[in-house]
Amino acid sequence: MMGALRLLAPIAWRNLWRNARRTAITLIVVAVGLWSVLVLAALMQAWAISSRDASLNLLTGSGQIHAVGYLDDPTVDSRMPAPSAALTAVLDAPPISIWTSRLRVPAVIQSEYKTLPVTLTGVVPANEKQLSTLPDQLVGGRYVSGPDDDTVVLGRHLAERLKTRIGKRVILMAQSADGTLAQRSFDVVGLYAGSTTAEDEFVFTGISAGQQMLGVSDAISEISFSLPDDTTLPDTIDALQAAAPDLDVRSWKDLSPLAALMNDFMDAFVGVWLWIMFVLMAIGIVTTQLMAVFERVREFGLLQALGMRPRLILLQVALESAMLVGIGVVVGLVASVATIAAFSGGIDLTAFAAGMDYFGAARVIYPSLTVAQYVENSVLVWILGILVALWPARRASKANPAAAMSVGT
Amino acid sequence: MSEPIVVCQGLEKRYQVGAVEVPALNGVDLEIEVGDFATLAGPSGSGKTTLLNMIGGLDRPSAGTVTVDGQSLGALDKNALTTLRLTKIGFVFQAFNLIPVLSAEENVEFILQLQGVGADERRQRARTALADVGLGGLEDRRPAYLSGGQQQRVAVARALVAAPAVVLADEPTANLDSKTAEELIALMARLNEASGVTFLIGTHDARVIAHSKRHIELTDGRITADERRQNSRAAQ
Repeated sequence: MMGALRLLAPIAWRNLWRNARRTAITLIVVAVGLWSVLVLAALMQAWAISSRDASLNLLTGSGQIHAVGYLDDPTVDSRMPAPSAALTAVLDAPPISIWTSRLRVPAVIQSEYKTLPVTLTGVVPANEKQLSTLPDQLVGGRYVSGPDDDTVVLGRHLAERLKTRIGKRVILMAQSADGTLAQRSFDVVGLYAGSTTAEDEFVFTGISAGQQMLGVSDAISEISFSLPDDTTLPDTIDALQAAAPDLDVRSWKDLSPLAALMNDFMDAFVGVWLWIMFVLMAIGIVTTQLMAVFERVREFGLLQALGMRPRLILLQVALESAMLVGIGVVVGLVASVATIAAFSGGIDLTAFAAGMDYFGAARVIYPSLTVAQYVENSVLVWILGILVALWPARRASKANPAAAMSVGT
Repeated sequence: MSEPIVVCQGLEKRYQVGAVEVPALNGVDLEIEVGDFATLAGPSGSGKTTLLNMIGGLDRPSAGTVTVDGQSLGALDKNALTTLRLTKIGFVFQAFNLIPVLSAEENVEFILQLQGVGADERRQRARTALADVGLGGLEDRRPAYLSGGQQQRVAVARALVAAPAVVLADEPTANLDSKTAEELIALMARLNEASGVTFLIGTHDARVIAHSKRHIELTDGRITADERRQNSRAAQ
């Protein structure tokens, strides 16, 4: 095999440049095709990650634990006790990087001007700041300072609708543990910015303040946890469920099906785009290689007449294709790396902010691909390029020497 | 009398052209002996190229047998035929048929590469073969930078470099001017004399025929004359 390659490689390489224009066209087709696949994959992946993270970093995390039935009826009646020692042991151990407890119940907020439905969310601020991005998205005032802090942080849009502001008081009303209406006034100490939906929904206070208001002692509504790597999620869910068999442990894919769907959709879209581009590339490769083969029928006949076996002729044409597609892949790969690196600082989509909010994505996305993704896609295109070129190569190897030699005489 | 290197017996070839069967060879019996410098002449369509293709294993007969250097071609599969062409037959074609992306030396070396000859020996033999045909100093030129006569000399060097049992040349002078054609055929005759390599040349060029030691006439797929010539220019 090595001997055959030593014999054929120089000939194949020189044959590539016999028709430089045709070779250049094929190279451009392959390079542009691969470039579009890789750059689109990076953009789509950035969008998918942005969309997923925007959703998960809001409150969801990698997964959550609730009392059974809470997700169907998220009221104070569906509360659960503070985590047991067994559950705490799993939550405190790797791979879970951070977790937090929350009290999260439907409530009504009232200002001097308006009454609106919200979700009262009692938080442990120190943990919440590590798990959620909302505490860092303040546009005024401060965040809740501790579990006992009985002030509230509102979304900016909600504050506008209530016609309230930092320093004013609002009244929160919710069903208490004993079924009566609990209500209490809170000082507004901060405003946060997020998606309009989030700004209108979540009102944050200290968890102990909320528990005291609702009379639930140390009961909570949910535990949210975060993992640095999604690959360990299924095992973590199993471990948590084993530690708390009476509770409902869910991954983010169950809790945010839209984010999960978006994630899958992006993967599928990139896959479909890869195949569309590959079909176009394949047409280009097969057409040019077939033309090259038809032009050289006489030459292939000559090679056979001189004693070159058909399989070597097949190997030579395949080698030409491998070189041709290989150069195109390298050019496309370099162009892709350069393009993606140029946008690694982020693409600002503020102009499309409304649309991005609708999809739950951030306003700046960061395109990137792993080395493995670059390599996998490039090798896939290269191998498929060689495979489609086997057809013209086979035709070349089937040339009848006598018939081929009579062509043009 | 030398032993035969090529033996054709009852050789027939028919081509199907639509519904019509066109006979190209009609029972050719022929023996080419070692050291022959034979010309195969006849008008266009007489079957010269067909007969050379049968002997060269480029095509298979409809009936009859061909034996080259003791090997019956009918018993060989495609790969074995390819090997036989590589080791026992040298070809010189009308249209030179050099590999355009290879230099003169690489074209000659190519046969030896296919045979698996080592690089050093390959280069030495190729250079010697090119020197033998008067192309010393032009080893690095590609076919596009050689004249027609020089290209055909490279083709002769390529045909001879592997020391084949027989060299089959089909109209080797047809694409050359008369002076170059004369030089080429004189070269081939000289090589035949010097190394004893067997030549069978399909031609209707009188200058080529004038050099032959043996002249075979083919008409309508049949051998109509086969004469040995004592007064050929090659013999003089």
